[in-house]
Amino acid sequence: MDWSAWWDTYSTLVLSIGVYGMLALSIYLTLSCGLLSLANAAFMGIGAYVSAIITLHYEWPFALALLLGTAAPAAVALLVGIPVLRLSGVYLAMATLGFGEVVRVVLLNLDITGGPLGLNGIPPLTTGWHVLLALAATILLLQALRRSRIGRAFEAIREDETAARLMGIATDRIKLLAFVLGAAIAGLAGGLNAHYTFTLSPGNFGFESAVDILTMAVLGGIQGLTGPLLGGAILTLLPELLRGLQDFRMAANGLILILVVLFLPHGLWDPARFRRWVRK
Amino acid sequence: MLRLENLSRQFGGVRALDEVTLNVPAGQIYGLIGPNGAGKTTVFNLVTGLFAPTGGTLEFDGRTLLGLPPERIARRGIARTFQNIRLFQEMSLIDNVIVGMHAHLPYGFMDLLLRTANFRNVERKARTRALQLLHRVGLGPLCNELAGSLSYGNQRKLEIARALASNPRLLLLDEPVAGMNATEKNEIMSLIRSLRQDHLTVFMIEHDMRFVMGLCDTIAVLNFGRIIAAGKPAAIQADPSVIEAYLGQEEPA
Repeated sequence: MDWSAWWDTYSTLVLSIGVYGMLALSIYLTLSCGLLSLANAAFMGIGAYVSAIITLHYEWPFALALLLGTAAPAAVALLVGIPVLRLSGVYLAMATLGFGEVVRVVLLNLDITGGPLGLNGIPPLTTGWHVLLALAATILLLQALRRSRIGRAFEAIREDETAARLMGIATDRIKLLAFVLGAAIAGLAGGLNAHYTFTLSPGNFGFESAVDILTMAVLGGIQGLTGPLLGGAILTLLPELLRGLQDFRMAANGLILILVVLFLPHGLWDPARFRRWVRK
Repeated sequence: MLRLENLSRQFGGVRALDEVTLNVPAGQIYGLIGPNGAGKTTVFNLVTGLFAPTGGTLEFDGRTLLGLPPERIARRGIARTFQNIRLFQEMSLIDNVIVGMHAHLPYGFMDLLLRTANFRNVERKARTRALQLLHRVGLGPLCNELAGSLSYGNQRKLEIARALASNPRLLLLDEPVAGMNATEKNEIMSLIRSLRQDHLTVFMIEHDMRFVMGLCDTIAVLNFGRIIAAGKPAAIQADPSVIEAYLGQEEPA
């Protein structure tokens, strides 16, 4: 097999598996402390636009562009999170969805973002190593958090926020941390994504991608880091695998999701279910 | 140690607590009793900052607790259990207890990121201490089970262990033996006695009279949001207004 030919054909797909894995992990982070936030597509968009504008217009180094593409959405998340995280449940979902629309409309109307035409001719700087490194760093960070007092606080807040506060957990700060870190990871994923797809348009980061990202995490399962990665990979590959169905592939995609949610409510990767199988 | 003065709380037009004055001295086991709906749990909810009082003052160790959020009050050294058990059901017993230590694990963000010696050391000590606490309430062998899988009585015991994890100076117990059998009640009784020996102050709500009378140094009686009596168990048992609150007034002949 000719690897370089294979890579030429499939590199975009492989890079996307990594990037969408990161996005699924970014929403896993907020879900793991009980926050249903749908702002991650918008944070991804901010990261993508900021880093692409830097490499296109300023020609600064790629690393710096990625760094600012990570920091900018985190800073926005900090400002938005302080008032918005007072909400919970569907109200938080609605507020973050509204924030996502605001971001989309702003991207659509600014001159520097290219308006409805978006940005074109972004230099193809992202390599497999970049994605691998960013994904590995994300996994290590989340794994370290999970095994610490912060990870336990996430879980405690998800299960019973009042009880968590009475354990001395500053729930407001912990939730803000999850929200900001999630935004940073989504922004980095957006920056990497922009530099292998060559073009950006505001429509890429709207309601549909917000729901896509959520679906990846829910499909894979949020009991750990494996589930979101698996969900991201499946939802990136599925449309390609179903290409033979042509016009019906989106319907097939939806059908698979409905079946999973109905019959595997904890997602595909559910360690508790695996343990039950072993015990039988 | 804990002082409530003219503490009131209204819910709409209902006076749940009406100028309650209480003084829980350090080192005592202090009981709060009263008929259902008297406002006992509301007292705990005000002390732990879940509700703000509509009037009066609330002091712990001479400093006011008014205006502090629950997590800050917890860090001052007040821990509690709940009448309707609130454990982290999907976490193991040992993790439940370690969550109780949250504010007392001295490592920073860099420590946990790099898994430094300090981080590993603190986490190891936390596990050891959590295991000790679980053994103390008799749940040591179950440490890796999920909290949700425990029996009712054992869930109450786990809540006590979790509350003790924060090293509190004042422990609030909301009906610690509700739903327990006689053996379990005796276990909890000796556990609470041993806590007093460790210089912990215990403030508890309980309906089981034999339990309260046998354990408490002082008892206060709450009825319709007002304190109607406070004193030694024997005096409370003989107090006509207390008997009336529990049994109703005698029919005039």
